[in-house]
Amino acid sequence: MSGKNMKFLYAGIAIALLVSVLAPFLASPNPDGLESAALGVIDESKLSELEEMEPAISSPMTDYSIEGMGKSGEIMAIAIGTIAVLAISFGLGKVFNKKA
Amino acid sequence: MHIPDSFIPLDQAVIYWVIALPFIIMSMRWARKELDEMKVPILAALAAGIFAIQAMNIPIGMGTSGHMVGAALVAIVFGSPWAGVLVLTLVLLVQGFAFADGGITTMGANILNMGVVSGFVGYYTYAVLRRSLSINIAAFGGAWLGLFISSIVCAVQMWIAGTFPLVPGLMAMGTFHLIIGFIGEGLITSIAITAIAKSRPDLLEENSLEARKERVEMEAMA
Repeated sequence: MSGKNMKFLYAGIAIALLVSVLAPFLASPNPDGLESAALGVIDESKLSELEEMEPAISSPMTDYSIEGMGKSGEIMAIAIGTIAVLAISFGLGKVFNKKA
Repeated sequence: MHIPDSFIPLDQAVIYWVIALPFIIMSMRWARKELDEMKVPILAALAAGIFAIQAMNIPIGMGTSGHMVGAALVAIVFGSPWAGVLVLTLVLLVQGFAFADGGITTMGANILNMGVVSGFVGYYTYAVLRRSLSINIAAFGGAWLGLFISSIVCAVQMWIAGTFPLVPGLMAMGTFHLIIGFIGEGLITSIAITAIAKSRPDLLEENSLEARKERVEMEAMA
């Protein structure tokens, strides 16, 4: 593998892990654009009905947190996700590039 | 802009999956053709960075926040919107299954909005602007418009779903994402592309439209 591209990879991982550590402290707790629009344009009874509906599956780390672990759990959750995305990307690379 | 399961009825959510599927397959084809040993680390780095940065919601005022999507950034680096579709599909899969960020039934719609619409609009706007503008401004414009248009598409989906009324939905989604697109998408994409253009100009040149045209012409002549 080209050294230059590996450097790019290391820089990407460093930035991703740095963001993982900072996000739980710096990220805004305010609702995002879609949620905020929902709060503004849907009437209350319908909104609470939508909010009470369970998601189709239950996720192990809902809302980027690990139960009972507070901020360190949030850091871990985002870091685990980052590593999962890295692993899947390399997996795809292996599948599609049989020469490797 | 991650749509939760409850915001789209199941039958409509399935239709968005059906529409998204050919785009996902095309992005896989792109990967089979273009991804080599050299490019996998670049793709992996961008995918990891985008996953992490999507967890960083930036306050935009009005009690609202937003985050980068990143399809335009990936598309510009690889010179193809399919790369953006591929990375956003991966990121949304992990977000949906592991973190309940975006529904599973609505993942098709989310891939369409954030991967396909913001990737294609972002990339081709960038490509057109790049003919006459500097790379940082072109990247800003493309990324910003890509995010804005995808929020408009999302608002229309919410209307078809019966979740949002049409005009107030368009106004709210449009206003919020105009601002999110400015900071979260445009500015960050522009900074990242400018940094890559400085440190790795070869990456962007190799994938520019002109370089591709030349390659095709040379292959045709050979």
